[in-house]
Amino acid sequence: MKILILNIIFYSLFIVFTAIAILLFSLFVFFVRIFLSRRQTMRRFRRAISWYGKIIIKVLPFGLVKVIYKDYEQSNNGQGVIFVCNHRSASDPFLMACLPYEAIQVVNMWPFRLPILGIFARWAGYLSIREMPFEDFLEKAGKLLKEGVSMVTFPEGTRSTSKAMGQFHSSVFRLALEVRCPIVPMCISGSENIPAKGTRLLEPGKIRVYKLKRLQWADYKDLTPFTLKNKVRDSIAQHLAVVETVS
Amino acid sequence: MAQKEIIKMTNEVFEEAFEIESQKLTPEANIFNDLGLDSLDVVDLVVALQKKFGVQIRNDERVRNIRTLGDIYGFIDALGEENKLSLPREN
Repeated sequence: MKILILNIIFYSLFIVFTAIAILLFSLFVFFVRIFLSRRQTMRRFRRAISWYGKIIIKVLPFGLVKVIYKDYEQSNNGQGVIFVCNHRSASDPFLMACLPYEAIQVVNMWPFRLPILGIFARWAGYLSIREMPFEDFLEKAGKLLKEGVSMVTFPEGTRSTSKAMGQFHSSVFRLALEVRCPIVPMCISGSENIPAKGTRLLEPGKIRVYKLKRLQWADYKDLTPFTLKNKVRDSIAQHLAVVETVS
Repeated sequence: MAQKEIIKMTNEVFEEAFEIESQKLTPEANIFNDLGLDSLDVVDLVVALQKKFGVQIRNDERVRNIRTLGDIYGFIDALGEENKLSLPREN
């Protein structure tokens, strides 16, 4: 009963906060664009989205969900990087608000179909990988990375139905080899029931988000896309095995 | 070309180009779910197979129906019959 009440409170706050945020974001972008360049406007817009995400994951689920973020390298030199994350829950994209980076997400088609939030995702420059030829994806994502915009990716493509990770798609690793940017593996542990697949009910719990050490281009330049994706997948799986054994 | 030779050479492609351990290479292995290839990796696979067997595969519609390693053995075998492929070639 307590869980249900906390969920009702969370979703009520979520809807109200999102409605307010959408209004503020629209006004913000409209006015800022008058005075600043497109690039500067986008940087601020993405930062605002990140703050929106932070409040969604850190403040609104108070008493229900706790998010712990651990950065193993604490390095951010402003360079665009590709974050590669495991994917267990619909909450995972929101969890990426932990990252202190200007970032967009590479998504499947469904987030673009969400009412209103889908429009904002498009405005922010999120890339729907299934809706464009691979060459277009390479060009658009490469341009963003060179501008210093990082990419958050979930190469399993869809949420895994168990704690075991699914196979990785190779697109983002081909992008990394092409653009020569760092790859940062990310581990998300504990999100599998927040919410579980097939429901919107958030179970109480802790979600741990780990930013692992980056792979520089020099570390992976001789690998094939297939080998690279499996190397990154293995590093995430190994870290997950460790944290889920001890926690 | 003997079926045994086709299996050996195809498995070599998976070991060399994709670094997949030989014990995973069984005829029933699904190249997507079990071996972890995706549609872009299949393009690399086609290029590697073309190079290994010296045949033209790229525009062959039958590639779309390949799911298992056994399907690849059968496909190469059929190609060999059509092209009178008698000797293994490595370029």
